[in-house]
Amino acid sequence: MLRTTAFAATLGLIGGLAHADTLTFYTAGPGGLADALAEAFQAETGITVNVFQGTTGQVMARLEAEETNPQADVVVSASWGSARDMHARGLLMDYLSPNAEDVPDFLKHSHYVAQGISALAMVWNMQSDAPRPAEWADLTDEAYRDLITMPDPAQSGSAFDLIAGLEAAMGDEVWDLLAALAANDMIVPGPNAAALNPVLQGAKAVVFGAVDYISYAQAAGGETIEVIVPESGTVIAPRPMMILQSTANPDAARAFVDFVLSDAGQELVAATWMMPARTDVAGLRPGISDLNVIEVDEDAVAARRDEIIARFSATVTNR
Amino acid sequence: MLRAQSILTMLAASALLILVGLPVLFILLQAVFPDFARGSLGGAFSKLAMLTENDRLLMQARNTLILAFSVMLGCLILGLPIGVLRGLFHIPGARIWDVVFLIPFLIPPFIAAIAWMMTLQPRGYLFQLVGFDLGRFLFSFTGVAFVMTLNLFPLVYFAVSRALEMVGGRFASAARVHGARPLQAFVLITLPLSIPAIAASLLIVFAMSIEEFGTPAALAARTGFEVLVTGIYTRLSDWPIDLSGAALGSVMLMAMVLAAFTLQNWIATRRSYISQTGKPTDLEKAELGVWRWPVLALFTLVALIGVVIPLAAISVTSFMGTISGGLAWSNLDTRHYEPIFRSGSRAAQALLTSGWLAVLTAFATAVIGGLVAYIVVCGTGRGRAVMDGLSVLPNAIPAIVLAVGLILAWNSPFLPLTLYGTAGILLIAYIGILLPYPIRYAVARLRQISGSLDDAARVAGATQMHALRHITLPLMAPSLIAAMMLVFAIASRELVASIMLAPAGMRTVGTFVFSQFEQGSVQTGMAMSMIAITITSGILLLVNLWLARQGRSAFSG
Repeated sequence: MLRTTAFAATLGLIGGLAHADTLTFYTAGPGGLADALAEAFQAETGITVNVFQGTTGQVMARLEAEETNPQADVVVSASWGSARDMHARGLLMDYLSPNAEDVPDFLKHSHYVAQGISALAMVWNMQSDAPRPAEWADLTDEAYRDLITMPDPAQSGSAFDLIAGLEAAMGDEVWDLLAALAANDMIVPGPNAAALNPVLQGAKAVVFGAVDYISYAQAAGGETIEVIVPESGTVIAPRPMMILQSTANPDAARAFVDFVLSDAGQELVAATWMMPARTDVAGLRPGISDLNVIEVDEDAVAARRDEIIARFSATVTNR
Repeated sequence: MLRAQSILTMLAASALLILVGLPVLFILLQAVFPDFARGSLGGAFSKLAMLTENDRLLMQARNTLILAFSVMLGCLILGLPIGVLRGLFHIPGARIWDVVFLIPFLIPPFIAAIAWMMTLQPRGYLFQLVGFDLGRFLFSFTGVAFVMTLNLFPLVYFAVSRALEMVGGRFASAARVHGARPLQAFVLITLPLSIPAIAASLLIVFAMSIEEFGTPAALAARTGFEVLVTGIYTRLSDWPIDLSGAALGSVMLMAMVLAAFTLQNWIATRRSYISQTGKPTDLEKAELGVWRWPVLALFTLVALIGVVIPLAAISVTSFMGTISGGLAWSNLDTRHYEPIFRSGSRAAQALLTSGWLAVLTAFATAVIGGLVAYIVVCGTGRGRAVMDGLSVLPNAIPAIVLAVGLILAWNSPFLPLTLYGTAGILLIAYIGILLPYPIRYAVARLRQISGSLDDAARVAGATQMHALRHITLPLMAPSLIAAMMLVFAIASRELVASIMLAPAGMRTVGTFVFSQFEQGSVQTGMAMSMIAITITSGILLLVNLWLARQGRSAFSG
């Protein structure tokens, strides 16, 4: 009997039932972080956290498909707009963790709070023949011809935010910049990882608008790349953490959010080379106060999403 | 007697309806009702406008078809000659070649695309070794068709070799007695008899190439080459997502595959391809004689391009300290294997989960697929064509959309009991996705078997079940076994449906590899792939050698 049960357990056939001592956590990458948080939380509270990790698109598609019978308790996405949208539709539970005190005001809300923050940057391969760029506009130089990649704003929310942010800062000039980059044979090969890979091997020299923490981690692992944040300004991509209104386990869910925002939780976030959400926890890399952050009016930008993507396509991809 | 037949038909029909019909139905509902997932039937058909206002759609549809036909042609060029040779002649190490040509199915398509990129792109491995690169070739339409062909050509190889084993050389001998030259006999007699198998495998190739996203996205997106599935994935790649638009796009892919299926069905049924009449004949294969070495050279060449190069790129990458460090002995490092063994339980859990899922899927698809094929070819009744058509749909639906359909169907709050949230849902998804392989292979095989064999058994007093068990099943077995190997290989590394459907906390090889890539450790992802490929191909080799010992060779070796 015992053996049958153990076998069924390995097959997962008797899993999935909602126990008071388990929590279901849906999260966009990095996967190592989700597992580390789950393990540390379990060690502290005895509550098992079952992790589902995917891209923001996969997490959102799964949440939406499950909407009539939600399975998740806590969700982290890589897109701040997704939290605003889910809140507007009444899907989120009202909770502001006491540990969020040191999270800057613009990164917390009554229903969601930042877990960690990344910034958008240029990533340059130091072994390339191209000189080190300092500003976004440097990449229009002839020295970078056919050596630039950029994530596709239609597939990467952060690349979309960068265009929207630069538009807020530069006005219509951003479209001239993008047109000049396109004329300089910039390629737009797909989401973030697809844009970074050619630069790692040296096929290209610079990523325009890479998510910074992945590259910081790779540089720390010995890759000869440098993360360069232009002084003229960039946008940040905070990752919202939220509790679903439908959770059957609100106490455990709140405890988990508290834990992620605790010293121990924020240090695990910092270890991924993201900026911790709490300003009093030190990151491994420059923090928000070191960056010239461009503010973006999220509502206005979200309303213009289709227009911006169409214009990007006309200017760069299908010119 | 008739009862046995109708019970079997009922069984086959209900299996197909539950495994394939149900998710397809929910995808259709989602396509029609944009808010279906949110539990509302409002705004019906409002998304259909997308089909008329999007002027890129026509271009994408044309690209999709051109790509699919190019890949089909490529698979014929690469798979047909070696398939014919393997079917008609004694090839030294035939069993081992079979396992070698299963390896492309063990490599997830997105990893194969990355491996080719890292080999051929500017400053890639080829450049580092010999000083030039083939980036221009790779990042083009031709490059996409090339890489996709390498992922799929074994489908033609296995189908053709198994079909020709059954045809054997005796029809050609008869033709030669009547004065035909050897090549003439082959082209006019032997090859046409394997048309059902070629058409069946090309149908799968067609469905797989219109559904495949990773390769065109990785290699040709930068040149502005878009296919229909590009639009589907873009809708689901980041917030805000559009389930309904993605479902609608998938409906178009399903329509394309149904058209291809109708054509294939017409080709395969407009005349008789029966070559197995039960006459005691010598199915001995011919000897290659002096052609032995040229033939082996051809097999080696195909294996080199289709298997060795991508495998070498994956393996080399997994042992590199840093990607930017390039091919240098000082950059040789095993540290990216450490997380796999260090977090031992997690990687081991993933391997174990994928292992038993793949085994169960292989057996379940063989049983259900064999049954469906038997009913479709040997049964009576109108529903047979519908069953046959339904069974090709899963290959045409992008896995992420199929997964959404399965969630919508199995996570309904109205179900008293559900497999969703357990590993059972993965099994259901895998069986649904992979059913087309045994069905297509077995249907093609059954079309070669004369019904008079069954009749003779029945006249001699056998019940229908007896005839099925002792006559038809053994004759189907080689095709079913070949299909089981394919299913096992693909299921062992399935990615997209696994990500979407695995219960939170459960990992498979595919999701493990993918999350490594997500974290930016390309090397660890490649390392896990390498380990999984080694284990899986080892298992396949052992099974093949064991089958050879069991004397299955009478049919298939």
